[in-house]
Amino acid sequence: MVADEILLELLHAELVNYVCSNEPKEKEPSGQLNKHCNLSTLEYFGFSTGYKLIERFTKDWSRFKDELDTIKFICTDFWTSIYKKPIDNLRTNHQGVYVLQDRAFRFMSKISNGTQHLDAAPLYIAFTSGLLRGALANLGINSIVTAEVQSMPACKFHIQVPRNQMP
Amino acid sequence: MAIHNLYIFDRNGSLLFYHEWNRLKQSGMSREEEAKLMYGMLFSIKSFVSKISPLDLKKGFLSYKTNKYALHYLETPTGLKFVLNTDIHASEVRELMKKIYSQVYVEYIVKNPVCRLDEPIKSELFKEKLDELIKQSSYYTAKIA
Repeated sequence: MVADEILLELLHAELVNYVCSNEPKEKEPSGQLNKHCNLSTLEYFGFSTGYKLIERFTKDWSRFKDELDTIKFICTDFWTSIYKKPIDNLRTNHQGVYVLQDRAFRFMSKISNGTQHLDAAPLYIAFTSGLLRGALANLGINSIVTAEVQSMPACKFHIQVPRNQMP
Repeated sequence: MAIHNLYIFDRNGSLLFYHEWNRLKQSGMSREEEAKLMYGMLFSIKSFVSKISPLDLKKGFLSYKTNKYALHYLETPTGLKFVLNTDIHASEVRELMKKIYSQVYVEYIVKNPVCRLDEPIKSELFKEKLDELIKQSSYYTAKIA
């Protein structure tokens, strides 16, 4: 089983690499190279992957009670089947904001153990943000997922569910 | 019992990484020159050993020893070369070197998407993990006779 874990890691690394190198290096008005223009492509890859994955993972499940139940499923079963470990910490304000914390996020655990290469962090979490958004979208929750990294390899995903959309 | 220093060379002979723990005598030349000298010597020993050997070689050159230190050499099938200098009493250094390769280099350089394989190693995490492994090993002690 070790082989397919590394396969995902390497494929993801190449995906990031490919998306980055394919993007025309546009100059921003400030004159700096625009590094962030390609994140939406990666995020979209994640979205469609998550959307399809959740279809498969939930085939033996009954309906979820409520939104929190759904998020808990994402944190444990969904996360474990992809990253081989559950989310370390889940917080919510019970008003549609959820914070998922992973202390050793797998795509970054080999990169750095601190702040070195922190500028590369957005590239490696964009796919996963999309993955979360796609999974939730297919479960009927439209959300906005953002991620934050202060020190690798820990990262936090913020899921925001607009309240007026809930039944 | 002591571990002196470690060199890692790539297939083409460029120095990817150098670190020293207990090195009391410096060579008196720049690091690049020293690395070139080291690689040249290894290259010569390798061809010498394979030419002079009366039997078919399986592993080739493994180590040499002076009265003060021992140099251990590990080459992977992909051409990556690890050179570890220890004192002459250290045993099972080969296992340690294989660990450096499989548990540190492969894990934190090969699997690290930010590192390019043909460039000198800059990853702090790699250095940290290497140091950890060396200091855990039974031959590492701070003092040298």
